[in-house]
Amino acid sequence: MKPNRFTAGVALPAVVFAVVLVAIPELVSNSFQLRAVMLFLIYALVALGLNLLVGLVSLVSLGQAGLYALGAYTVAILATQTGAGFVLAMMGAIAVTAAAGVALSYPTVRVRGVYLAVVTIAFGLIVQNVAIDWRTLTGGTLGISNVPRIDLGTGPLSTTGLYGLIAAITFVGFVLHHNLMHSRIGRAMRAVAQSETASRALGIDPTRQRVLAFVLSSVFAGIAGGLYAYLNRYVNPDTFSFSDSIRFLLMVILGGSGTTFGPLIGAGILTWIPNLLQAFGKWQLFVYGALLASVIFFLPKGIAGSARDLWLRWRVGRNQSVRQADAWPKPSPGVDALLGVRATVRGPVLQTRDLTIRFGGLSAVSGVTVDIERATVHAIIGPNGAGKTTLLNALSGFYAPTEGRVTLLQDEVGGRSSVQIARGGLTRTFQNTELFPEMTVEENVRVAFHARSRCGFLSTVLRLPAFHAEERLQRERAALLLDYVGLAAYRDETAANLAFGHQRRLEIARALALSPEILLLDEPAAGLTHAEIDELIALIRDLKRLGVTVVLVEHHVDMIMSVSDHVTVLDYGEVIASGAPSAVREDPRVIEAYFGAGTVPTGAHA
Amino acid sequence: MTAFVQYTLSGLVIGGLYAIVALGFYIMWSAVRAVNFAHGDTLMLGSVLAIALMWAGVPLLVGIPLAIAASAGFGLLIERIAVRPLNHGPSSVGWMLSTIAIGLMLEAFVTITFGADPRSLPSPLMGAPISIAGAGIFPHELLVPVAAVALLALLDWFYRATMLGRAMRAIAQKPVAAGLMGIDVRRMALISFAAASALGAFAGILAAPIIQVSATMGLLLGLKGFLVAIIAGMSNARGIVITGFAYGVLERFIEGFGNTSLREVLGFGVMILLLLMFPNGLFGQREVNKV
Repeated sequence: MKPNRFTAGVALPAVVFAVVLVAIPELVSNSFQLRAVMLFLIYALVALGLNLLVGLVSLVSLGQAGLYALGAYTVAILATQTGAGFVLAMMGAIAVTAAAGVALSYPTVRVRGVYLAVVTIAFGLIVQNVAIDWRTLTGGTLGISNVPRIDLGTGPLSTTGLYGLIAAITFVGFVLHHNLMHSRIGRAMRAVAQSETASRALGIDPTRQRVLAFVLSSVFAGIAGGLYAYLNRYVNPDTFSFSDSIRFLLMVILGGSGTTFGPLIGAGILTWIPNLLQAFGKWQLFVYGALLASVIFFLPKGIAGSARDLWLRWRVGRNQSVRQADAWPKPSPGVDALLGVRATVRGPVLQTRDLTIRFGGLSAVSGVTVDIERATVHAIIGPNGAGKTTLLNALSGFYAPTEGRVTLLQDEVGGRSSVQIARGGLTRTFQNTELFPEMTVEENVRVAFHARSRCGFLSTVLRLPAFHAEERLQRERAALLLDYVGLAAYRDETAANLAFGHQRRLEIARALALSPEILLLDEPAAGLTHAEIDELIALIRDLKRLGVTVVLVEHHVDMIMSVSDHVTVLDYGEVIASGAPSAVREDPRVIEAYFGAGTVPTGAHA
Repeated sequence: MTAFVQYTLSGLVIGGLYAIVALGFYIMWSAVRAVNFAHGDTLMLGSVLAIALMWAGVPLLVGIPLAIAASAGFGLLIERIAVRPLNHGPSSVGWMLSTIAIGLMLEAFVTITFGADPRSLPSPLMGAPISIAGAGIFPHELLVPVAAVALLALLDWFYRATMLGRAMRAIAQKPVAAGLMGIDVRRMALISFAAASALGAFAGILAAPIIQVSATMGLLLGLKGFLVAIIAGMSNARGIVITGFAYGVLERFIEGFGNTSLREVLGFGVMILLLLMFPNGLFGQREVNKV
């Protein structure tokens, strides 16, 4: 197994981190310093978890201290009141914080950004006040003291032994965090953060990704809290205030959110800085606020993020070879095997019956009945505002039908989510090209394999052989698809940097990565040059050859006439004509809808 | 019965304060879809400045307007340096962190210079409590809910009847189009933040004879004010004031039958639940997601 770019990039520093962890007991001179290192490792664990939330799904939690507190209190209560041992108490902390993570992630279905931040602040304050108020359980403001030492069956653990345990757990957390970030799960999470719409069209459920990220970050905080209870052997409500939540978030941002080492760097700096700030005496808090402000203004990507950017720029500066996109489509046996559709059902692949979509009192689509046949190119045209895109949104599950039915591959799908429909074999592109702008070209394509992946969560984070096999397969397939659309040379470019026409190609390649039976293209020719439109026509013909059904919403009449097998014309949300392109072209109602009266000049762009 | 009236009255007092804080958030949100997250600290700043000026021998009638003006200046500064450079669309939270950071600095600065002990302002209306249906309340306390309603009426008039107010409403709905119509969007943002901060300082000074003025008083007031504003639905001033009163009364009842910790636990719990049930707010309008 050849190591890929990411594992190669992380292996050496990870080994260094492990060596430092092993060497530290020899390097520090007393147990006070060793305790400081343990505190750093515990904070690092919280920061690593929070990084999954902030760095991957771009959700900001200002209540992480509440989850940390839940872990600490659960362990303290279980250990002092039920005599639970280390493993049992930690399992309790994991269970409680995972449940809290699910509960906290529920709001993300509906609210995000600053609203979510406020919900998490309120959550942190609720936890803190419960700890103050539920005296019989938590000891109130006095807290819980005399948390027993950890005993793993060989007598109470010494300080060095405790250090070993904490270091091992944090190191495992670090490795899992890295593995998750550079896997299909990490990519799906980043995709959800960058374009929720595109994620859904690719069969990635945004809610699932957010819940997963929230639960993982909660469990990291909970484990860290449990370790803190054993380290300090005393917990009280003062340790878990709003300012602690801010500090955890600052660790992630200062270190560099979304990077492997950022959380470690941030936790390290913010654990040592209180010692440095002693010099500022009573100005400590002020300097702390100033530090937060300067990071946000001058180092928004954090230390590791800025370093990575510098390195990338230096690498690009050295590598000035001219890249060129190839002509496309470039059919190959590999692509044929990947995209070729084997008919599973007879009859039309996509049907609507009396489909009506209403917004308030306005019908955007009314009573539309169409049959779309397998391996044909079916164009939907009509003047602006005729309801074409609304129809497309209903077919792809972004709008639920008000009335009528939608049948995909003889399966009633009206009212199903776009995620389910995408997994059922229908995907789409968007009028305003919805890429994942901050991901590379290759990553954009690989995200689309997520829905069909077989490799489970555990195999992924533990990097079992199944993971490596699937990664290799997906890299090969992504290469095939990029080659098919002629973008192989741009594999590692950030999607946002691509030229407009190339972004279109990438969006199509990404949709094809799902191996769809039906592909909806929403105005794919808009903004393209004549040469690019000719290539697009060639692509559509090639997809038809492979058995893919293409539904095309387009204004470009020449293109429609040359590629379509069937044209459906909408006006004011209703079908006014449907049939072969030549017949539709002569239909008086169509001519009237476009021009009021008169004839269609040949070659006009309607 | 007496307890019932007492909790309701004092609930309306604290609720009026939440309402005024929430109106400040409303003004800022309308202008730039972002807020000063340390808005609670403008209450602290206003009341601390008023007390400091009083100590320096400045008469209250001069000192209070000065404190409010200085807080308005603070609002301008926040908008210009902490919000505008970091407000890049609906999901960006940079401005949230930057304003929290400035709030931390302000709190630390005030703790050092003003001291950590709580203080209060004198008021001629805090002499003897009056009795309403057996419940006692100071006349000054009644000023708070009255001020909340009066401010609501004033805002309503301002947004409807003045050119500046209409321009701000236009920005709230379509900032780009408003800009194309020749409305100076940036100037309006500055004015909004200054006005919100002045309002915050006014609320702080109004409450200073009733509640303890300290460097850290702003955090909870600001948070609850923001929750009130989003529960009500950021776009409805009337709804915000009603929600503010309702939340204040709810808190006082919980506190009356329980304690202050329970007040925070249940109060925040109810707020989170309401937000989940009505993500666009109790009085807000549904926003249609377009693909």
